[in-house]
Amino acid sequence: MYDVLQRWLSAGVGTRRLLVVFCVAVTLVALVVRYPDALHDADETARANAALDFVDRAVGAGNSVFPDQRLLVEARGLIPPDESFAVSVGDPQPGWTDLTASSAELFLRSYLLPRRLDPNARWVVCLACDRDAHPGAVAVWEGDEGLAILRLAS
Amino acid sequence: MSVRAVLGLAALNGAYLILGVMLLWALRGLRRWSDVLRLAGLGYLVGVAAFGTVWTQLLVVRLPFGGWGLVLTLAGGTAAAGAAGVLLGRPRPRGFVDTDRPASAASLLVAAAGVALTGLLLEALFRSARLQSLQAYDAWAFWVPKGKAIYDFGGLDQQVFTTFPNATYPPLVPILDAAAFHAMGSADVVTFHLQYWFLVVGATAAIAGCLYRHVPAWLLWPSLVLVFTVPRIASGLLVPQADVLVDVLFVAGALLLALWLRDGRGWRLAAAAVLLAGAGLTKREGLLFAAAALAVALAASYGRHRVVWLRLLTVAAVVGAAALPWRLWYRSNGIGGEAPADAGAGGSIDRLLDALRLSFDVLFDTALWSVVPLVALIALGAAFAWGDRRVAAYLAALLGLVFLGGAWVTYAFRELPITAQESANPIVRYTGAFVLLSAVATPLLLASVWRSGTEDLQ
Repeated sequence: MYDVLQRWLSAGVGTRRLLVVFCVAVTLVALVVRYPDALHDADETARANAALDFVDRAVGAGNSVFPDQRLLVEARGLIPPDESFAVSVGDPQPGWTDLTASSAELFLRSYLLPRRLDPNARWVVCLACDRDAHPGAVAVWEGDEGLAILRLAS
Repeated sequence: MSVRAVLGLAALNGAYLILGVMLLWALRGLRRWSDVLRLAGLGYLVGVAAFGTVWTQLLVVRLPFGGWGLVLTLAGGTAAAGAAGVLLGRPRPRGFVDTDRPASAASLLVAAAGVALTGLLLEALFRSARLQSLQAYDAWAFWVPKGKAIYDFGGLDQQVFTTFPNATYPPLVPILDAAAFHAMGSADVVTFHLQYWFLVVGATAAIAGCLYRHVPAWLLWPSLVLVFTVPRIASGLLVPQADVLVDVLFVAGALLLALWLRDGRGWRLAAAAVLLAGAGLTKREGLLFAAAALAVALAASYGRHRVVWLRLLTVAAVVGAAALPWRLWYRSNGIGGEAPADAGAGGSIDRLLDALRLSFDVLFDTALWSVVPLVALIALGAAFAWGDRRVAAYLAALLGLVFLGGAWVTYAFRELPITAQESANPIVRYTGAFVLLSAVATPLLLASVWRSGTEDLQ
């Protein structure tokens, strides 16, 4: 073992350089394999991004959370930036995604900034919510799958 | 997306670049314009890290973050660095050609090929970034909202910064996001992906520029291009989260420390301090990485003059001082600590072995990282045998600590399952730092082996 180590450590310049060349060769082979794929993937992503419409791009992950992106567009249009909103979620409805009930509030908090989340706000984003829990609220927008935007009388 | 938004982002990143290059000029002097060009990438990273670090402290003391504040900080920082350079007697850059170190035609050809391949990839990434929607969970769940909060409310908004997920994560990335929103004129979460593209360009240029004089082009470019094409890194480059930036700042800082171990040039330590301070404010593990790099550099400089240790301890003090105010801020706002509750005490040996096995499996998964870690290990072995042993020991110990750090995270945070699934355990994201460091270390190590035993180092 010691002899092997001794021989290894005293290897000539040629052997050392052969090892360096080997490492570079392995890297180059990996690069030849990987580079076209990486370029292709970036190209494909660029193409897919360009094919999206303006709203799809603006809503982003919201398309996976909400069954209807109109809710998000309407919420931004109707709720003034300096006001707050509440989120009220009821039983899951047909058409909801796996993420609707669990992630809707967090997504809305992020998407609707600078509007703040406030349980007592006069604006309520309602996802199949119990309307009786918001007495006096008027639906200013209603979509399918139980989606609505309510406004309480101030 | 609008042309105005893209131009705004370009101007902002140009300002980071000018700030950083001016800091480098003050720290080391830049004799020729070719030096400015070579170190522009490093300057950009230093500028980003300095800007983010300073604004973290300013936000903690409740200075409002606005468009004018942004301009004044960048202009003031650049002017201060320029004044320091003048006071230190740094000469202005003159001429372009480096007559002391002529590059061979073959070397220029290889460098041109590397730049061209990288450029093609960056061009495709640019097209991808400019119309990219916000998709990644962590990005929309807390990174970007924090940036929007700084942009909209002008500071560390108590509601957003204490009630969104991962409240202990430091604010450097949200600060960069908020600056990008100001530069674009709105919180445009589509176009702002270009900010991450600029960071990738800066990182590539920084690594290439730092290694340019230390390794031949044929050793540098294959490794550098490969690391940006390996599946897990390529797929995460434009994701508006902190993972790539923390890795880049750490690796650039660690590389400067490695080069400092060789030549002892003080400016490298100063630049490393800025980069590592930035890493510590980018993500929680950034502090772990910075501590590992400085501890290993201390050990690797064993036997040198006491002044060397004092300088390293000063760097550590700077990094620690930069990290402290943010930690005090979130503590004062009732947010728990970032370490695991029991810091790993009381965990079973089985879990420890499982965590190590998981880290090992992830690291050598060629579907994630191709051959980058494998080649780095061969290069380390070769450098230990025939190359620069001090640098090899430094890099081996640092890579070892980063590896063990990943295993420790899985072991200590008992809520993490033993799985490589990214939504459940961060080990894959974490391992990116190891892989990027491997890719940067490999050319340095192989160059020392190639030159060993010969008089002519080139």
